[in-house]
Amino acid sequence: MARMGAVDVALWGMRIGVVLVVVVGTIGTLIKGRYTAAQWFDFVMFGLTIGSIYAQIALGYTMVYGVLRLINFAHGDIVMTGAFAGYFVAAPLDRSGFLQNHPVPGMVAILVVAIATSTTIALLTERIAYRPFRRVVGLAPLICAIGVSFFLEQTFRGAFGSAVKSYPSPEWQRASFNVIGFNVPGIDVLVIGLALLFMLVLYLVVQRTRMGKAMRAVAEDGEAAALMGIDVNKVVVFTFTLGGVMAGIAGVFYAFVYKQVYFFMGFTPGIKAFGAAVLGGIGSIPGAMLGGFFLGLVESVGPSLFLDGIGIPAPYQLRDLIAFTLLIMVLIFRPQGILGERMAKKRA
Amino acid sequence: MALLEIDAIHVFYDKIEALKGISLAVEQRQIVTLVGGNGAGKSTTLRAVSGLLHPRQGTIRFDGRDLAGLGAHDIAATGLVQVPEGRRIFGRLTVAENLEMGAFTRRDRHAVAEDRDRMMRLFPRLRERLKQVAGTLSGGEQQMLATARALMARPRLLLMDEPSMGLAPMLVEQVFETIRTINAQGVTILLVEQNAPAALGIADHGYVLESGRIVLSGAGRELLDDERVRRAYLG
Repeated sequence: MARMGAVDVALWGMRIGVVLVVVVGTIGTLIKGRYTAAQWFDFVMFGLTIGSIYAQIALGYTMVYGVLRLINFAHGDIVMTGAFAGYFVAAPLDRSGFLQNHPVPGMVAILVVAIATSTTIALLTERIAYRPFRRVVGLAPLICAIGVSFFLEQTFRGAFGSAVKSYPSPEWQRASFNVIGFNVPGIDVLVIGLALLFMLVLYLVVQRTRMGKAMRAVAEDGEAAALMGIDVNKVVVFTFTLGGVMAGIAGVFYAFVYKQVYFFMGFTPGIKAFGAAVLGGIGSIPGAMLGGFFLGLVESVGPSLFLDGIGIPAPYQLRDLIAFTLLIMVLIFRPQGILGERMAKKRA
Repeated sequence: MALLEIDAIHVFYDKIEALKGISLAVEQRQIVTLVGGNGAGKSTTLRAVSGLLHPRQGTIRFDGRDLAGLGAHDIAATGLVQVPEGRRIFGRLTVAENLEMGAFTRRDRHAVAEDRDRMMRLFPRLRERLKQVAGTLSGGEQQMLATARALMARPRLLLMDEPSMGLAPMLVEQVFETIRTINAQGVTILLVEQNAPAALGIADHGYVLESGRIVLSGAGRELLDDERVRRAYLG
């Protein structure tokens, strides 16, 4: 048997440590029985809700990566621009009582404006910031993307201040249903349902339409696609449009769930959704959806399930720790993600 | 006027001059072949014609039109289509989707459907595999698909880069058969091959490349009998 180096020992230590925490914690929590079935149900519902939002954001990362091999670091901030645009529609509609009395046209108006804004900004960043770097190899495009991220954050901070604005929360959002004894919040059903619907539409677009197929062809081999007469620039614009639309929807939902908007709000969901995309296998569309839901569930259920049992108080504050531990574990032990292939194979 | 006219092109990779003033012509309905060793500039020539590389000097005219400044996808849309080296089919798309991508620039749905049927007759093996993901095809089937995909564009000029590479001897014969069939149906062909005897055997005209220059040209048969070619490539 080959001798293990120090790094291998450390990695095995980490694996065993994480597995121990998960197993011991879970057993401990279940024995203590601190949480009721209703509470577990709440954790799962919230996990699915936030997971559906991560999934939508993750799609933007994964599609752009697939086509351009670029990690669009500014994607979380594109989500933020959508949330802000939605806010400027939602706030007056809420004050006038329209959103309360006409929830469907109200939500449609908010979503349309949010989608239009985030898509426009996504396309502008592609045209102005990313396209000039298209043929540059190395780190320059990634650093450029980080620059775009800062640019968007600071522009919104300059324009709208750094204070947290509270998102309107009309009465009907607080409605909930009783399903076989469990309390199901209406907003969760709305967010998950619409997210699933939009993702299904996106999936069909990518699978069935001419541009969707061209996008998959470019993702696999851009040069061969160009030789078939496919205009790669058009495909890139198409890709950023799809990502921008999903980002706009996700921004509105995220703001409705957390009931606030501010200039830096895109960062955390952005980086988590990137983690979700990596978790599912970056470049893979079903992978991004799966990764988003999985990450949402783990960070929602995980703190209580894993950490309570080993005696950590108020574990819910540690959900980001759980989310990023999961991301690091994936990067170390399965960098290709759940549904992905090894990066090296991609260009073979 | 020739269908494709290349006039004294110089192509560089950074500072390295890969093509040092190449001129050649492909007449309507001909099979023309470029032969030569590794690194002679055969693929580079095809890449320049397809717009993947841009010559620093010289012109490339297709059907009288100067191709300078056109992107690869624009050139494909003019009816000048390449089957690239290594086939480069879309492995995660189905066979049917690959064919659809070949017809990407066309809007005449009926004619596209007819052409697909024609491909199924030309390559019956592909018919059984239409719904299959292309990456699962064998090497020979992938070559068929790459050829069929390019033909779906209804090219007037088909560029083929090493179509026989990596195939079993029996399949190699089939590839050259296919090229003749396609040509007989009216498609002009510019063929790059390392398998010089087979290529020259079916070509109307041949060019021999050596380190970025054309060192010999003539009718396919003539070159096949040429003493220098025999010594260099036919052993």
